[in-house]
Amino acid sequence: MKKYINLTCALIVFISTTSFQNGDILCDSKTLKEKAKSALGPYKYDSSELTRIIYKKTETVKEIEIPLFIGEKYRFIFNLEALPKNIEIQIYNKDKDSKNRKLLFSSKDGGIDRKELQWEVSKVRQVYINYIIPPTADGSYSGCAVFMIGYK
Amino acid sequence: MKTTLSLISITLFSLCITRCGNNKQEENTTSIEVTDTIHQQKDTVAIEEDDETTYKLPSALQIAYVSKKSGAPFNESILNKTENLSRYNTSNYKRAVNFGVYSSDLANCLFNKKYQESKRYLKALTETGATLGLKQAFESDKLAERFDKNISNEDTLVQIVSNVQLKTDNLFEQNKQKHITVIAFTGAWIESIYIANQAYALQKNKKILSSICEQLTFTKTLIKALEATKLKEPEMPELLNAISEINNAFNNIASVKTATENDRELNFDKMKFTDTDMIPTMELVKTLRTKMIN
Repeated sequence: MKKYINLTCALIVFISTTSFQNGDILCDSKTLKEKAKSALGPYKYDSSELTRIIYKKTETVKEIEIPLFIGEKYRFIFNLEALPKNIEIQIYNKDKDSKNRKLLFSSKDGGIDRKELQWEVSKVRQVYINYIIPPTADGSYSGCAVFMIGYK
Repeated sequence: MKTTLSLISITLFSLCITRCGNNKQEENTTSIEVTDTIHQQKDTVAIEEDDETTYKLPSALQIAYVSKKSGAPFNESILNKTENLSRYNTSNYKRAVNFGVYSSDLANCLFNKKYQESKRYLKALTETGATLGLKQAFESDKLAERFDKNISNEDTLVQIVSNVQLKTDNLFEQNKQKHITVIAFTGAWIESIYIANQAYALQKNKKILSSICEQLTFTKTLIKALEATKLKEPEMPELLNAISEINNAFNNIASVKTATENDRELNFDKMKFTDTDMIPTMELVKTLRTKMIN
C-alpha cells in the first residue's frame, strides 16, 4: 500500500512541475496592450495584435502585412516584455517572398535587448513586419509579442 | 486508508484538470474574463504555423478620419438606419458585417461632430456587439455615462470610442474570432466607400475621389485575409468573390491599369479619371452594401 501512495505522490509532483514548461511565459494581453497604448502619445489608437512566438530548433519568421493610408503619419509600438528570449523585428516595404524589398526598420539598430520599441512612418502604402524568431537548442517554448498602431 | 487514497486520487484528478485549464488559458493569450453569451464558432482559428503571414486591417475610426479629411460632407440619410438592427441577429456573418457597417457610421458621425447621432449609433453598435460576445467591451467603465458627459468634445469622444475598439480587439483575440474581425472590417470599409462615393457624386471633389481610391487599394490585403479565413463562415466564399470583383473592376480602370503594368506608384491626386471610370467599381460596392444591410 505504501508503494502505491509513494507512486501517487511522485505522480503529483511530476504533474505539478511539468505544468509550466521551462521558459514559457504567460501572455497577459490586456496589460501588455495597455503599456503599448501609453506609448502612443498624441497618436490615436488604430489596432493591435498579440502574436504567439514559439521558439523551435530552426529559425522561423512570422510576417504581418499592414496596409496604410499614404497620406497619414503612423507610430508603431512593440512590447516584447513577454518573450523569454529576444527576437529581431524587421519592417519591410514588400513581403518576404519579394526579391527587391527594402528594409525600413530593424530592432538591431537601437540594441536588440530593448523591451519596448517605437517606429514612426509616413508616405508608405504598405508595410510588412517580420518577427525573426531565433532557433533554440533547449526544446520548444513560447512567449508573445504585442504591437500597436497609432495614427494622426 | 481508503479515504486517503480517494483524497489523493481526487487531488491528482484536479491537478490534471487544472493543468489542461492552464494550457487553454495560455492559448487564449489574455487574462480578460468573458461573461457574455458568445455565439460559439464551430471551429476556432487554426493553430499558428511556422513562417505564416497574418493581416492587420485598419479600424473604422481611421478610415472615417481619412475620409473626413478629404472634405466629404456629412449626410445622415445615406447611413444604415439603426432601425434595421433587428434584422441582423440571424448569423455570425450578418452580425459581424453590420457591426462593421455601424462602426463606420458611428465614426462618420463622430468626425462630423454629429453627437446625438453618434449616441444612437453607439447604442446600435453596443447591441450588435453584445450578439458577438463583446458586451464586456461596451459595458465597462460606464461607457454611456462618459459618452453623455463629453457629448460635445470630439477628442474625448474619439478617445472613448478608441478605448472600446481596443477592448473589442482584445475580446476578438481572446475568443479566437479573427475571421469576425475580417468580416467586420469588410462591412466598415464597404460602408465608408459607399458614403464617400455618395459625397463624390454630389460634389465631384477630386480629393474625395483620391480618398476612395486609397481605400480601394486595401482590397489586395483584404482578399488575402478573407482567403485565409474563408471556411470559417458559410457566407465568406461569396464575400470573397464580391471583393475580388471590386478589385478587378478597380484594377481595370485605364489609369490604374497603366500605372500597375508599368510598376509605377499609384498617385491618385495626379492620375486622370473620367466620370465613367469609377462606375463599374461603385456599382459593385453599392450592390454588396445593399446585400449586407438587408
